[in-house]
Amino acid sequence: MDPTQIEQIGPFTYQIPSSWRPDMQAPARILADPAILAAASADRSLEQLVNTACLPGIVQYALAMPDIHQGYGFPIGGVAATAAPDGVISPGGVGYDINCGVRLLGTHLLREEMLPHVDELISAIYAHCPSGVGKGGAIRLKSKELRQVLERGARWALKRGLATETDLERTEGNGCLSGADAGCVSERALERGQDQVGTLGAGNHFIEVDAVAEIFDATAADRMGLVPDGVVVQIHCGSRGLGHQVCTDYVKRFQKTLHTYGLHLPDRELVCAPLSSPEGRDYLAAMTAAANYAFANRQVLTHGIRRSFEEALAGKVANHHVFQVYDIAHNMARIETHRVDGHPRNLCVHRKGATRAFGPGSPELPPVYRDIGQPVLVPGSMGTCSWVLRGTETAMEQTFGSSCHGAGRQMSRTQARKRFKGVTLRQALEHAGIHVRTGSMSGLAEEAPQAYKDVDRVVNVVHEAGIARKVAKLIPLAVIKG
Amino acid sequence: MTPETKNTLSGVHGRDIKKQDQQRVTDPDGGFYEEIEHTADLALRCGGPDLESFFRSAARGMYHLLGAQASSSHTAGQITVSLTAMDMESLLVDWLGELAYLAERDRLVFGDMTFKTLSATRIEAVLTGSRNHRLDKVIKAVTYHHLNVKKTPEGYAATVVFDV
Repeated sequence: MDPTQIEQIGPFTYQIPSSWRPDMQAPARILADPAILAAASADRSLEQLVNTACLPGIVQYALAMPDIHQGYGFPIGGVAATAAPDGVISPGGVGYDINCGVRLLGTHLLREEMLPHVDELISAIYAHCPSGVGKGGAIRLKSKELRQVLERGARWALKRGLATETDLERTEGNGCLSGADAGCVSERALERGQDQVGTLGAGNHFIEVDAVAEIFDATAADRMGLVPDGVVVQIHCGSRGLGHQVCTDYVKRFQKTLHTYGLHLPDRELVCAPLSSPEGRDYLAAMTAAANYAFANRQVLTHGIRRSFEEALAGKVANHHVFQVYDIAHNMARIETHRVDGHPRNLCVHRKGATRAFGPGSPELPPVYRDIGQPVLVPGSMGTCSWVLRGTETAMEQTFGSSCHGAGRQMSRTQARKRFKGVTLRQALEHAGIHVRTGSMSGLAEEAPQAYKDVDRVVNVVHEAGIARKVAKLIPLAVIKG
Repeated sequence: MTPETKNTLSGVHGRDIKKQDQQRVTDPDGGFYEEIEHTADLALRCGGPDLESFFRSAARGMYHLLGAQASSSHTAGQITVSLTAMDMESLLVDWLGELAYLAERDRLVFGDMTFKTLSATRIEAVLTGSRNHRLDKVIKAVTYHHLNVKKTPEGYAATVVFDV
């Protein structure tokens, strides 16, 4: 698409009108700067956004965050809100890794205090947080307990002694979303979930130990327990094989019912069902169950990280306590209330590679963050910086309370593998003082920092557009790639 | 894109999906596969002169993406896979999804695929292979993204996008 044909409607907002294609049900809106827009025009990202704008019952516009890149069905960075009675729910608008998300943990350690022990710490985390293709963990759940995980999420871990009340309070939806029904999850999905709670997986999933490089909002940073040079830990992973299977099952089931509901779509991966249909309700209940599994997964990984801090640092530093800052999903559909044309409406907000960014005052935020807005966690590419932002009222007004989720890829995995060698990349990272653990050198090469957009540029767009504000910038000290 | 599209997204099609130089692999049965570029995930172009070679080449191509070495040795014994789907695209998604699942769960990779039944909507295949102890990556899912099995005078072909 020629970007000059796209209308600029704000300093960082562009729009493709609904007249662009006859099957569009709403305009398509992109938050970007000129360079990001040009990059999005160079692959199928914008076509996928236009396709998203064809979803039946879509409200206002299809949205893309500035980390937009080509996915399947929705573009990555896509947001679409639908509403009953005509509105649909689309498993492809959530993605296969249901509730893939990021958790940020804080510590009372400063970078200088940590540096002598980083290698030992990352080795301990690598041992306690299994990673890699299809890896199972130390916990094998029997059927009854697995169903508890699906319906209680991270709250299940509390009973197991793997969580604290504060962890739960500082997790989106308190780590336990209502409406989950394990009965809507297939036997195969359940089987795949038996031994993967507390595992990182592979691909772009990671655990990273970081230091706070810069504070931009002292009040919000203080509230989150972030101090200059303070050490923090990020976890990026999702619902593992269970979530993948749930999405696969419902994409297949919805293919069969598409014609029943008279739905016509430009891409079969956008397959959907009315929110009010039995299929739509079942998917929402199964997706919610998988989302709870993901919250539990990140919670058990948190426990593994706490054990690692204990093992590596107890007696060597003044305080090795690890506390939760926040945990957010970036692949999810949630039923939320938003004001549309001045009136509150119940919407199904699909975020695929996008996070919530609820503004100050939102009743869904824990009391500790209610007056500053929701923490928004934006991991960068490996070896570069990451960001902590906070949600705003502008996001509530303009983006259904949503913001970006990361840097966004700009180079294919095949190109990255051709251009970079995992071994060389690891050496370069270690030369820069970043400790690396990985089970796959080719996987490491695919995640080369150069394969991603400049996360600072992406964050500048959301900051300048006002949908999320900068709180702190993080730089890596050590990373585990799944 | 829908047939009634008036404003084509000029320059969009094809730019992101480029053939990899000298990556096309041709099988003895006439099937072929090649990895295609995709920004976030992985994509595969596969085809064959008949249905059997087409489904076989799709599987071999996916194993290539997984970094698995397929073998027909009998170390893992034989498995029969039976699938029924609403159309050929769904059958292809189900077929590859089943093989990706067996590869992730049991590290099973099949070099020999004998089809007892194969139509546009049904597969019954006897698979013989070995256990791979290591795979380079996991395929989260086989997608329907712009999936269209094309029947041409040369046979069958499709481009499949995988979520990784």
